[in-house]
Amino acid sequence: MAAVRERHSDDAPLADSSRATVALRDIHKSFGSNHVLRGIDLQVHAGEHVVIFGPSGSGKSTLLRTINLLEEPDSGSVRVDGIEYGPGVRGEPRGRRGDRRDLRKQVGMVFQQFNLFPHLSVLDNVTIALRRVKKLRRDEAEHRAARQLDRVGLLDKIGAYPAMLSGGQQQRVAIARALVMDPKVMLFDEPTSALDPELVGEVLAAMRDLADTGMTMVVVTHEMGFGREIGDANVFMDSGVIVEQGGREIYSDCREERTRAFIKAVL
Amino acid sequence: MVAQVTFDWSVVTDNVALYYSGVKLTLAIAAVSFVLATLMGVVIALLRLVRNPVISAAMATYINVFRAIPLLVFILFIYYGVAIAFDLDFLTAIQAGILALVLQYSAWLGEIFRSGIQAIPKGQREAALSVGMSRPGTFFTITLPQAARIVIPPTGNMLIGMVKDTSLVYLLGVSELLRVTNLLANRTFRYFEVYLATVAIYLLLTTTIYYGVKFLERRYSVVDVLSEIKRSRSPLARRRLARLRTLQETVQGGATAAT
Repeated sequence: MAAVRERHSDDAPLADSSRATVALRDIHKSFGSNHVLRGIDLQVHAGEHVVIFGPSGSGKSTLLRTINLLEEPDSGSVRVDGIEYGPGVRGEPRGRRGDRRDLRKQVGMVFQQFNLFPHLSVLDNVTIALRRVKKLRRDEAEHRAARQLDRVGLLDKIGAYPAMLSGGQQQRVAIARALVMDPKVMLFDEPTSALDPELVGEVLAAMRDLADTGMTMVVVTHEMGFGREIGDANVFMDSGVIVEQGGREIYSDCREERTRAFIKAVL
Repeated sequence: MVAQVTFDWSVVTDNVALYYSGVKLTLAIAAVSFVLATLMGVVIALLRLVRNPVISAAMATYINVFRAIPLLVFILFIYYGVAIAFDLDFLTAIQAGILALVLQYSAWLGEIFRSGIQAIPKGQREAALSVGMSRPGTFFTITLPQAARIVIPPTGNMLIGMVKDTSLVYLLGVSELLRVTNLLANRTFRYFEVYLATVAIYLLLTTTIYYGVKFLERRYSVVDVLSEIKRSRSPLARRRLARLRTLQETVQGGATAAT
């Protein structure tokens, strides 16, 4: 495990860490006796598209959910856009602790199950945070929301309710709902896993468009083809550690046997 | 033994005002008790879900105790037992009845509301938190409105039960519908006619509530809202649609102008 961490720090020199949009340092997380994350270091730089892959139960989703603190680390620190949170790295003096909500405001998240608010119209799903969190006037909020929905091709659905939309449309609304808050980084937690196969394409297309705008993205996905296409940095996780990370070449030429075995099995 | 075959309905028609006064008091007791029980039920549900184990256990005990006692026993205990033993002169019979109904129904409603809140998937809360909403904000705008829709049918059942259960306070000498009926029957000896009218009145009251609840259920069912709005010719619905159309046109116009 130590070797892995050392190699990782070769990939991303410490000098860079202060400029990273997202910096995770020595994250540990357990659920009961299940040690899910065992010392994760990860940096995501502005404009970078990070793809996280690995077998189920490897801790990918937990890692992603730690970035916006839906899971709070047992130890280690999370920093997003200069806001630091977490109990701190073991053996270091504890730094100042930022506000959890301030950190979350910098991070957009798209969930596997969409998690749209079923009692609100499509438009209200996208305006609610603008009004409640950013305290925008209704007109302003609705214009921003409608523009964002137009971008994902759903302007004609603003009056509909989530239950009236297909899964692909719901997921695109969810993307708009996250984007409208102008996050510094977007997290995608297996965004196409709950979709019918013929609806996967439209969601991937929306994500591809987003990647083209230079948005910083962290994507947990089983769509290896898509991962290979957009991933600037590709992270392979297994049993709660980052086994290996690298550029696109990782898919054809990786260093670790475990990575090779996984890629061979899924591609 | 010969069954009574001639009915005399004048005993009912002559006493409409009397029935009316009984119905009014029945409904007043039910309404006051139900509003108070609902408010208390919400508080109990929230405290039950608090992470503090002492508070949560206290609420569980409250629910257990008040659900376990038969309502009639409880009403008599509060009025004749507690109020008289402790010299609570200020407690009138009506108030004692309301108190008993509120304590017991708030326990039932508390359980209903708790289950409604817990039925909302965790992902709803997470999605709200992920866009930066506060915990209270998430509860009041995301969890509570959805939970309220879920609990409409069982809460409606409780309201129907409440209207019927107000009849138990007749034993404290409160002149609600049942007591009025009882006195009239004893005076006129036309038991069948007098009680049948009361049966019909209770049926009418509870059926009305039933349809009211059904209406609410439809009105607030998530999927139907839009079709309801489309169908509706209310000025409010038309204004909403017009707003959305203007918004779409503005954004579309802006987008084409930009390209």
